[in-house]
Amino acid sequence: MPEDVLLNVKDIDVFYGTLQILWNVSLEVLTGELVAIAGANGAGKSTLLKTIAGMMHPTTGNIEFLGEDISRKNAYNIVTMGISLVPEGRGLFPEMTVSENLMIGSYNRNARALSKEQLCRVYDLFPILKERKNQMAKTLSGGEQQMLVIGRGLMSNPKLLIIDEMSLGLSPLIVNNLFQVLHEIKEAGVTLLLVEQNVWKTLHEADRAYVIETGRIVMSGDALKLCEEVEIRNAYFGV
Amino acid sequence: MDSLADLATPITMGILYGGLYVVIALGLSLVFGVMKVINVAHGDMVVLGSYIAFVASTSLGIDPILWLVLGIPLFFILGIVIQRFFLYRAFKMSADAALIIAFGLGLIIQNAEQLAWTPLSRSLQTSYSLKSFQIGEVYIPLVYLLDFIAALIIILIIHQFLKRTYLGQAITAASQDRQTAELMGINPARVYQIAFGISMALAAVGGVFLGLTFPFTPTSGVSFLIIAFGVIILGGLGSMTGTFIGGLIFGLSQSLGGTFLGPTGQLLVPFVMVIVILTIRPQGLFGR
Ligand SMILES: Nc1ncnc2c1ncn2[C@@H]1O[C@H](COP(=O)(O)OP(=O)(O)OP(=O)(O)O)[C@@H](O)[C@H]1O
Ligand SMILES: [Mg+2]
Repeated sequence: MPEDVLLNVKDIDVFYGTLQILWNVSLEVLTGELVAIAGANGAGKSTLLKTIAGMMHPTTGNIEFLGEDISRKNAYNIVTMGISLVPEGRGLFPEMTVSENLMIGSYNRNARALSKEQLCRVYDLFPILKERKNQMAKTLSGGEQQMLVIGRGLMSNPKLLIIDEMSLGLSPLIVNNLFQVLHEIKEAGVTLLLVEQNVWKTLHEADRAYVIETGRIVMSGDALKLCEEVEIRNAYFGV
Repeated sequence: MDSLADLATPITMGILYGGLYVVIALGLSLVFGVMKVINVAHGDMVVLGSYIAFVASTSLGIDPILWLVLGIPLFFILGIVIQRFFLYRAFKMSADAALIIAFGLGLIIQNAEQLAWTPLSRSLQTSYSLKSFQIGEVYIPLVYLLDFIAALIIILIIHQFLKRTYLGQAITAASQDRQTAELMGINPARVYQIAFGISMALAAVGGVFLGLTFPFTPTSGVSFLIIAFGVIILGGLGSMTGTFIGGLIFGLSQSLGGTFLGPTGQLLVPFVMVIVILTIRPQGLFGR
């Protein structure tokens, strides 16, 4: 695994208006890794991801992607550079068909030329989407919708795919299938950053992990080691 | 009403000139879809389209419909300029600010037209203005048929554009979820510009067919704005099929209202019908 830093978040503070949500958050993702961020409701996980994707901007600190500062860039430029965010709550285009949803994922100029091949790749990963390709996105089941937004995220040909709360509201069986696909995606050379509330599952799948609590990173490191630490902590503090 | 033909005439005429409302409403609906702002100057822009075609036809002798070859790109560019340098700047502050700018723009257009062309009523006169054609026992003015054909062509073109091109899909996506659209690499400011440019191009088309169908004055825009607004809520916000059917139904009820109740019925009947339909289907005929 090449050890170069793909994403480097350095000491960022992020506010909603005057309300500070993230405090001094730092995080690194290396090329080829699967990194997880775990934390309770309202800890600031989605805020962190939105900031990386350019939907929000840090007041201090910066974010480097492939060595370039992206912390002031707009979301629509960042996706062109190779960061694709699959937002929380799915966010598909309900009145567009499955294939239209996928194709719009390759809107950015770096992805357009490859859109046909990418589409085949996505249909290979999620054959059900191919069967449903002419159906309105809103008519899909929850699991299929999650597949659709992951597939759409891949259509932009990302170097880094970020997924917010993939497992939310899905059955364990579907979650397992999705993780299998994520491993295939990883094998194909895409770096992954996941946010999950489902800590156990995620820590078992990830290489490294960060734990975020009320806007601060409180633990980080090798995912399996973190598993043990969390276990011990829970045993002691009964959280 | 003693014979069926007496009823068939207003029905056919209403449906056909309803095509004019389709064209006007589509432009309003496209911008509303992406910006969620009712462009209150849309009617005035349509009437501006009528005046410009009037000049082209009276001073340069260009047929109004032929004029569109130039008029469409001209208005498209004008739309992009207006969006980029006026509306969007206000829109970044708030949607209300954009609304006020649009309102002001409408007033400016009206007053400029009064200065340039006086408040007198005008119309676009062509060799085919007074021609009519016959279906069975019914005689229909040719321009009404042209309104309908224009609506069909416009709906097909816009539909294909929205469905088949990346830019059209970007507009569609941004209308459904602006934030997620940005995550797809879609620059919202650009989408607003294109949508507004197309809306202005449609105003150019609407203006020509308006001028061929009805007389117009600098203040005619307001009534066409209200009609277009009625059409899109009748058909269902965001639905092209809805706008198409809505426009035709609006024309139909206006025509029947006029026939049975005289001039007062012309707007009364369609709007009463809008209210009745919305009571039964609050989302409009084809709304979701
Ligand atoms: N648009 C907003 N305006 C103001 N405050 C917000 C906004 N969005 C989120 N917050 C606040 O920011 C904090 C962090 O929210 P965030 O969505 O990042 O949490 P999260 O870790 O993703 O939670 P969850 O697991 O529930 O998704 C919360 O206290 C939330 O109330
Ligand atoms: Mg969240």
